[in-house]
Amino acid sequence: MQKEMRLTIANCHFKNIFVIPMSKSPQDIKIEKKSPGIFTILKSYRYLIILLVFLALLSNGLNLLLPKIIADGIDAYTQGHFNYKPIIAEFSIAALLVFVFTYLQTLIQTYTSERAARDIRTRLTEKISYFNYSDLERANPSKLLTYLTADVDSIKLFVSQAVVSISSSVFVIIGASILMLNINWKLALCVMAIIPVIGIAFFIIIKKVRTLFKRSREVIDWLNKVINESILGASLIRVVNAQQLEYGKFLDANTRAKSFGFSILRLFAGLIPVIVFTANMAALTILVLGGHYVIVGSMSLGNFSAFNSYLAMLIFPILVIGFMSNIIAQSTASYERINDVLNAPDAASTGTIEAQLKGNVRLTDVTLKYGQKPVLKNISLDIHSGSRIAIIGPTTAGKTQLLYLLTGLVKPASGSIKFDGYAIDVYDQESFYSQIGFVFQDSIVFNMSIRENIGFSETATDNSLKKAIETAELKDFIDNLPDGLNTIVSERGSSLSGGQKQRIMLARALAVNPQILLLDDFTARIDQNTERKILKNVQNNYPGLTLISVTQKISAVEQYDQIVLLTDGEIVATGKHDELMKTSTDYIQIFNSQRSTTNYEL
Amino acid sequence: MNYNLNELSAQQQKTSAYASVKKLFVLITTEKRNIILAFTAIIVNSILLLLSPLLIGHAVDAYISKGNYHGLLSVSAILLCMYLLALITGYAQTKLMGGVGQRTLFILRNALFNKLQLLPIAFFNENKAGDLISRLNNDTDKISQFFSQSLIQFMGNLVTMIGAGVFLLIINIKLGSAALAPALLILIFTLALSPWVKRKNARNLKTVGGMSAEIQESLNNFRVIVAFNRRDYFRKRFTQANNDNYQTAIGASIANNIFLPVYSLFYSAAQLVVLSFGIYLIASGEFSIGLLVSYLAYTTNFYNPLRQLATLWSNFQVAMAGWDRISQILSMESNLTDLHENANLTSRSATVLSFRDVCFAYPNGHEILHHINLDLEAGKTYALVGPTGGGKTTTASLIARLYDPTEGTVLLNGRDIRTYNADERTKKIGFILQEPFLFTGTVRDNLLYGNEQLLKSTNEELEAEVKNAHMEKLLSIFERGLDTPVSSSGDSLSLGQKQLIAFMRAVLRDPEILILDEASANIDTVTEQLLSEILDQLPETTTRVIIAHRLNTIEKADEIFFVNSGNIIRAGSLDDAVNMLMQGKRAS
Repeated sequence: MQKEMRLTIANCHFKNIFVIPMSKSPQDIKIEKKSPGIFTILKSYRYLIILLVFLALLSNGLNLLLPKIIADGIDAYTQGHFNYKPIIAEFSIAALLVFVFTYLQTLIQTYTSERAARDIRTRLTEKISYFNYSDLERANPSKLLTYLTADVDSIKLFVSQAVVSISSSVFVIIGASILMLNINWKLALCVMAIIPVIGIAFFIIIKKVRTLFKRSREVIDWLNKVINESILGASLIRVVNAQQLEYGKFLDANTRAKSFGFSILRLFAGLIPVIVFTANMAALTILVLGGHYVIVGSMSLGNFSAFNSYLAMLIFPILVIGFMSNIIAQSTASYERINDVLNAPDAASTGTIEAQLKGNVRLTDVTLKYGQKPVLKNISLDIHSGSRIAIIGPTTAGKTQLLYLLTGLVKPASGSIKFDGYAIDVYDQESFYSQIGFVFQDSIVFNMSIRENIGFSETATDNSLKKAIETAELKDFIDNLPDGLNTIVSERGSSLSGGQKQRIMLARALAVNPQILLLDDFTARIDQNTERKILKNVQNNYPGLTLISVTQKISAVEQYDQIVLLTDGEIVATGKHDELMKTSTDYIQIFNSQRSTTNYEL
Repeated sequence: MNYNLNELSAQQQKTSAYASVKKLFVLITTEKRNIILAFTAIIVNSILLLLSPLLIGHAVDAYISKGNYHGLLSVSAILLCMYLLALITGYAQTKLMGGVGQRTLFILRNALFNKLQLLPIAFFNENKAGDLISRLNNDTDKISQFFSQSLIQFMGNLVTMIGAGVFLLIINIKLGSAALAPALLILIFTLALSPWVKRKNARNLKTVGGMSAEIQESLNNFRVIVAFNRRDYFRKRFTQANNDNYQTAIGASIANNIFLPVYSLFYSAAQLVVLSFGIYLIASGEFSIGLLVSYLAYTTNFYNPLRQLATLWSNFQVAMAGWDRISQILSMESNLTDLHENANLTSRSATVLSFRDVCFAYPNGHEILHHINLDLEAGKTYALVGPTGGGKTTTASLIARLYDPTEGTVLLNGRDIRTYNADERTKKIGFILQEPFLFTGTVRDNLLYGNEQLLKSTNEELEAEVKNAHMEKLLSIFERGLDTPVSSSGDSLSLGQKQLIAFMRAVLRDPEILILDEASANIDTVTEQLLSEILDQLPETTTRVIIAHRLNTIEKADEIFFVNSGNIIRAGSLDDAVNMLMQGKRAS
């Protein structure tokens, strides 16, 4: 029976249980009313949970009967009226039913908990999918990943285990106690004394272990960060031969993780023998005291043997309750984190105007802040439909942020942004974005076919796709691929050159047939000749398009209707090329920095 | 070598699994002594625990049935001593075996990370970052759970089970065989089901990896999703991954949970057999009632560990599925091995780097470079121009030996570049990559990344170095100078700023050959002039290889190469290069 104790350790994954750092002390958790959050999740699955509890109680109840049947058998034999048939029949039926009930229970447990996990993930991503870009950056993508994986797993554990285990554990403890009390109350009380002893020892150790787990989780996070950066920065590491350095970082983290592992191990190495010893003392009590009762004739031999079985049954549930209190604590913390995301106010409700954009854009006194730091200060700008605008300026001027503002990816701290006289917010998002094409500075290529990458928006038709591909000068390239448009490009687009990636990005933006096209340093990685052709194609194939282009090259934008010079988040000059050449010294400086090659450009 | 972990051939997979299990045993040979000690503790502990039912049975027969209370007490005293001894062995077994597990995990993680560092860049291009991260984090976690928790129980249970089995057979061979018969069925059942369980878990781990890769891709590129109004796409793709994961998780969970109820059923069967057959034997005078009580205890002692092994077995299967995925990485070998021939054959000629009949193709791709011959002289500036996709970055990657040519050789100082070790080679060659990568930390951390010479310098010394290299103006762009915080993800710095850090990092390393792959593409032209001045002031012997689209960045080049459709042509002058570009010369 001593071996029963091991069941605890085997059945419960300490790791799972302690994975999530907790924001609440266990005392808080015990008073469930204070944090009703996690239990509300069971509401949607209440019939399944009730069924689960019912099955668990049935199988546990039957399990309690088994030792009694054997005890009766032994007693019947010693008293000389042993009869095989009823005992075998009773026992077989009980055992079979236990099997059926427990198997049904695991099936329902699996189904319920996996469904709960899937549902939370769906709800969470549904919510995230309505986020603004700035909401997402604030929520932090890597944290969201943890919510969707580790935190959901912890809730899954709660759904499948907590209620069922606690109710069946309480049931078994009470049931075994009653049965023992029934047989011999004095001996029963002695045996039951182990309940508080094991409970307290367990509680003290678990509390210590929990803080250790919390801290070791931080070390594991650190370890994972080293791994992630070493994968994402693999090229750089190889170029500067820093493999040893990375290994050193990893070794550091890994060594810390190991030492935490050992601290936790030491606690358990102490706890387990103590629990075993306590249980053994109870067994010894049964032998000495129970033996005494048998000798004096106040207890039967069969009941004596049943006592040993009940003792074995008692220990496991005590530990389960301890473990479950942890699962509840953890999943409560996880659920709170997830709830924070779910309960975040919905992104400002999208407007309803579905008007065709003309392309008049007006910014009035717009200020954008990142934290306390202003990135753009009091920007006012007027862009006319069908005109071409260039935004130039040094690194960190805020050029990209200005484009983000214009596409509603970020919201200004103050000031207004209007398209055709209406604030950006009153437009229906779907209709708005289907008229805006944005080519980002960095290449973002999804792990799917070129066709899907370019026809990324649903509004793209075969025709618009074809036009976009031709405009971006991608036709030859795609025609030369063995699988053509159906070629799968990889996540980091490593099979494509920098310029090819950027042209795919352009084609993606053009495929929606935009009224307004925003280019962020589009020409940076494209050779001059291709660039010229592409820009000419854009003008020819998309007449009336309003073009807003962030660029470094003056030569490409000399003919533009307006050039905006942005420095340190402020507009320092604006006007046509010729005007700026007369009025702005900053502009002249930039122009001069590029002058040397202008001769070569036809 | 095929580096795609998800498309390994069956053969590759088979040999890799076998070889890596062997590797694991090699890794932990140092643990031999601890394993022996742990087993001793486990065996002593198990014997102690197994003896006690025998003593209790003896007490029932010899004393309780006969009413001898005194004898009962002396048996109890012996039992007490045994329990006290078990307290010590119990502690020792957990401590020792757990220690073995922790150290094995430590060694395994190190081996895995080390392997990752040894693999060439091609490996990272062939596999999704999300999938790799999931393998390293999630799958090692599964193994870690096994090592840190299950291993101790696994061993302890195994020994106890065997011990109980032996006792059962010794006490009464007939009854023992009958009691153990259900175990045979369990064994057959388990063996028959294990491959299925492992398969289910492997499938589940794969979808978990797929799901995190999906989430990562979507969340990291959320801008595009918003700007193209494809939130539905994000939902659709995720729902797909989520559902896939749901299906496989249920499959895996059903597989994992099938053992326990079945084992319990067989345990009940064994109890029933012992009871009825035992009573039959007692009736025929071959057995005693006391022994029956101990026998029932031994049956429990045999079947309970077995039941726990069922739980542990599925843990073990999960760990094995994870181990398989990890061992796929461990079985990868770098195809960029160092050659050891002619190591001292270094020509002191002016040519620092040459391509001799170099061809290159990416795995499963067209040939990118065709029979290239090229000589670069020390101290000169070279520019590579040409249309996108022409092979400029590939050429640069071959110079830095991120890849080896599929045909021909690259010579560094007249010696095959493959004969240099990584340390020598990377000291000589600096490469500013097209896509800058920064580590989370400060500007200082990133400037000194992989720079052993300057690593220990103080901020003042480093600033002096920066000034020496005429880069103080670049540094001043960062608000808090060297201490400006930087993160590997997110938008804390603009692309231009990241490029500036990458530039400074490469210059501070003072390489013999400095390759700039569109290193200033997103930097404004005024700052770019600064970069150009800095490049001019590099030591006379430094060779510069510049890839750029902006002509002003390359106008000072001593020689211009026109790279197009896998061919490299000497352009002569800047005018020639411009003409070639203008003509849109495309041989294909």
